[in-house]
Amino acid sequence: MRGRTASVVPAVCGILASACGQPADSVVVGSKNFSESILLGEIVAQQLERAGVPVDRKFNLGGFLCHQGLVEGKIDVYVEYTGTAHAAILKLPPERDPVRVRQQVDSIYRERFDAVWTEGLGFENTFAILVRRRDAVRLGIRTISDAVPYMRTWRPVFGYEFTERADGFTALARHYGITLERQPVNMELGLVYRALADGLGDFSSGNSTDGQIAALDLFMLEDDKRFFPPYEAAPVVRRAVLERYPAVRGALATLGGTISGDRMRELNRLVDVEHRPVTEVARQFLLDLESRSASR
Amino acid sequence: MNFFEYVAANRAEVLYNTVEHIGLVAASCGLAIAIGLPLGVLLTRRPGLSGPVIGFANVVQTIPSLALFGFLIPLPIIGGIGARTAIVALVLYGLLPLIRNTYTGISSVDPAVREAARGMGMTDWQLLWMVELRLAAPVILAGVRIAAVWGVGIGTIAAAIGAGGLGEFIFRGVAMVNNAVILAGAVPAALLALAADGGLHLVERALDWRRRTAA
Repeated sequence: MRGRTASVVPAVCGILASACGQPADSVVVGSKNFSESILLGEIVAQQLERAGVPVDRKFNLGGFLCHQGLVEGKIDVYVEYTGTAHAAILKLPPERDPVRVRQQVDSIYRERFDAVWTEGLGFENTFAILVRRRDAVRLGIRTISDAVPYMRTWRPVFGYEFTERADGFTALARHYGITLERQPVNMELGLVYRALADGLGDFSSGNSTDGQIAALDLFMLEDDKRFFPPYEAAPVVRRAVLERYPAVRGALATLGGTISGDRMRELNRLVDVEHRPVTEVARQFLLDLESRSASR
Repeated sequence: MNFFEYVAANRAEVLYNTVEHIGLVAASCGLAIAIGLPLGVLLTRRPGLSGPVIGFANVVQTIPSLALFGFLIPLPIIGGIGARTAIVALVLYGLLPLIRNTYTGISSVDPAVREAARGMGMTDWQLLWMVELRLAAPVILAGVRIAAVWGVGIGTIAAAIGAGGLGEFIFRGVAMVNNAVILAGAVPAALLALAADGGLHLVERALDWRRRTAA
């Protein structure tokens, strides 16, 4: 008994030490709490590790903890979306031009948070309006405009972010002239897809690259009146880290423009639908990237 | 806009969601008591079941709420979206303290007291009602207190499934990166939890006092 206690104590101390005291000399990579963000966090982390930079992962952070962490120096780099930073974090007035969005966000981040937006990863993730595929086929609707007449009596199910953001539903309804007879039900976004697929609502909000859209046989209506600005995903990194670890800049630049929208959807599908481990999907992606650039 | 300004500007909504929250917690606590208390008594009569049943209640506690909602959405009658699903989840989370405290409270009644009651010719029901439940009341009530305070706290997740309540402000605040809105849900929820705990504590004291004066 005594012998067992003796071996347990150091083990517990070890766990506590690793949990509390973060290694002083490493780059802390963060991610938000959904598959795409975790996967991108892992890709960034592995890419930095390949460049010989010591990494500490802080994944699955809810809400805007990543941003708060970045501001307070607890998170050194994470992948953010320009539109989210523009509308939700900086609360700037809606701006339709993605290039202007990126410029505004970048200059304010440099000035206010001492952080830098590195090159975009190459895909865009934006809000989307979803219906069940079988409804889209049955009613012959393809675009948001096609669906506007039906939306009047449909039951809407939205994620909180889509309801609250200035570039969310209120602005969309104005743009397309949507009127609703039913109050939207607000839910956690991951549950929204399930609810729509199970017929508990008739249309919903979503994020355009989420793997669940294809997995649950949902259909993304085309934004025919171009309301949703294309928001790009890019790593945001604290300037102090770029100075301390010069290899970080090059490692992140290599990732620039390497993930197309279709590629991102495919990667999300591997994680969400095929349930492949995130670390493995990230490793495979970086290996493919390496071989592609070698053959070029 | 700071917290006080936000609450002042939206007081009708804050009040409405607070009432909604109380409704969710009251309904789920009531159901948890209605299920957990008889189940706890049953376990004292069939001790062999106590391992599996308490084990099950323990496991339920470890299921993250979003995962639980995910399981519940496709189910008929108890599932779907809205208040009903939220209450089912809250009842499941509230069962553990009630089952366990009822079981422990009754099990720890002195066997000599039970023998004496039998010797006086009490039936099973009389023994349960007049002796065991009375002696176990403080422990059972402590379980109700835990369930109520937990219920107020985890009741905020009801907003994740479209059931409203004070969690609505928390989810909205998180989506907007606005602490004032988060606090508009969190502060009333904390006050409710304190009120529930304090109120049940008074009930406990009143029962205790009655028992003492009766003795």
